[in-house]
Amino acid sequence: MQEQKGESSPSISSLSIVQMNGVSASYDSKEYVLKNIQMSISRGANYAIVGQSGSGKSTLLRLINGMMSPTKGKIMVDYNIPNPSDKKFKSLMHKIGYIPQNLGLIKNSTVLENVLIGALPRVSGFNSFFKKFSDSEIDNAKKILKQVGLQGKAERKVYMLSGGEKRRVAIARALVQKPEIILADEIVSELDHVTAREIMEVLAEAQATMKLTAIMVHHDLQLALEYADRVAVIKEGEKVLEIGVEGDKIVDFQSGNYTQTEILEMFTNESKE
Amino acid sequence: MNQKNNLIIGLIIAGVVVMSVNVDADPRDFAEGLPNIGIMLKEITEVDSSLFVTAFWSMLETIEMAFIGTVVGVAIALPLSLLAARNLNNKFVYVPIRALLAAIRTFPSILWAILFVIIVGLGPFAGVLAIIMYTIGFIAKLQYEAIEAIDADPMDAVGAIGVSKIQLIRFVVLPESASHLLSQILYIFDYNIRQTSILGLVGAGGIGFYIINYIKFFEYGKAAVFMLVVLATVLIIEWVSVRVRDKYIVKSQRGMQIKS
Ligand SMILES: Nc1ncnc2c1ncn2[C@@H]1O[C@H](COP(=O)(O)OP(=O)(O)OP(=O)(O)O)[C@@H](O)[C@H]1O
Ligand SMILES: [Mg+2]
Repeated sequence: MQEQKGESSPSISSLSIVQMNGVSASYDSKEYVLKNIQMSISRGANYAIVGQSGSGKSTLLRLINGMMSPTKGKIMVDYNIPNPSDKKFKSLMHKIGYIPQNLGLIKNSTVLENVLIGALPRVSGFNSFFKKFSDSEIDNAKKILKQVGLQGKAERKVYMLSGGEKRRVAIARALVQKPEIILADEIVSELDHVTAREIMEVLAEAQATMKLTAIMVHHDLQLALEYADRVAVIKEGEKVLEIGVEGDKIVDFQSGNYTQTEILEMFTNESKE
Repeated sequence: MNQKNNLIIGLIIAGVVVMSVNVDADPRDFAEGLPNIGIMLKEITEVDSSLFVTAFWSMLETIEMAFIGTVVGVAIALPLSLLAARNLNNKFVYVPIRALLAAIRTFPSILWAILFVIIVGLGPFAGVLAIIMYTIGFIAKLQYEAIEAIDADPMDAVGAIGVSKIQLIRFVVLPESASHLLSQILYIFDYNIRQTSILGLVGAGGIGFYIINYIKFFEYGKAAVFMLVVLATVLIIEWVSVRVRDKYIVKSQRGMQIKS
């Protein structure tokens, strides 16, 4: 895995694939759910976002893939302003693997059909209407199903799968996109530790081989620190910390150095539910 | 229950009483007329079994009419429902389509039948056309409502990939609304058989022609044969549709356990 540590000062925007300047967002124009977010995510980074429930983590991901627009401020994703009706950004959307918090799988379709949805940008309208995919697309999808640990389950209907298996389907769908960016929203929350780690390993391996940028929302700071090289902590819509591990120290990229225990204490005090 | 609810219920009951007076609906007339039912029942039991063969063939014609009407009607309704759904189109598309569908729905099938008898003449074809129109209005509305009620999560997740609208429809909208559609189709087929049975009233084919004529000439026993055949058919269709529903709809939803 590429290491981005140390070289990623937020001002070097040319290196960053996601750049946010003073971004605020709201749903009903009354109250901002994200306030003045400053964020710079470097290409190839493994970036994590943690924070309490309702702090605005999912909203942040939806700003990046253009499913929502900021009320104030500016976002650039690979030099584009996210906007689904813009042709250029649309072709970038093909390369953003988005795994929403509730996965968004088609329950009555098979695992393979769900996963092949990721290949749709490469299929003509006519062929996709008849659900016709080339042999190489099907082979590739099956290869990825194997990679995420779903071999032999291709023809299963999704509603028959376990919670962990469903998450693997959503990961596979994103990987079939041949993505440059993966946005994963609490992909391992509420799973047992063993399964959570298995799934994180699958993602880490895919990230290493496909050289992609991963932006993942987590509930668990410990897990975030373990897998990410940068962790942003969101509290009530504001980014209060951006930390990373360097050697055995946790480095706060906003305001100096803390030890790991200090940060953990800070976090638990802040986000005790 | 609070004061306000009591008031509303009171007003509704008062409304029913006042309106009944207005439309001359007097329960006493009903009581006086009850003995007539006895006479009718007695005559109905004098079934003329020699007519069963005719009844069978005219029922078959009715079923064929309903089947064609349902299939063609659904085939036309489905694309219209996709165009009428507000979560798939802008208002320049869905407003006119919805207006068209509302216009189609203002006519009950019997009025469509009269219209088509004028256009294509007496016979089953007019009935088939009437059933098609009714099916379009009914299925398209229920289906666009179902499409609008589709879970937003898969729409979002697949939409975020930047797929085309055709792809979104094929991979999200259709599978997510398929069980609903199947359920509506079973319902409308059942309903179409029953309404095709009365289209004979205006000369648009089907078993209703016989029923109406025998009733007109007070031959209740003969009419009864035809009504029994309709009843048997509806029961068979009901039985089949329960099977289909269990197999394709209930199971796919949440694997409900059916007590048998
Ligand atoms: N569609 C919506 N309409 C209105 N308000 C919304 C909507 N979605 C989210 N919100 C509000 O925005 C705020 C941030 O929500 P968001 O989903 O981003 O939080 P989150 O950090 O992902 O929480 P969780 O950990 O529970 O998933 C919350 O207060 C929530 O109530
Ligand atoms: Mg969330």
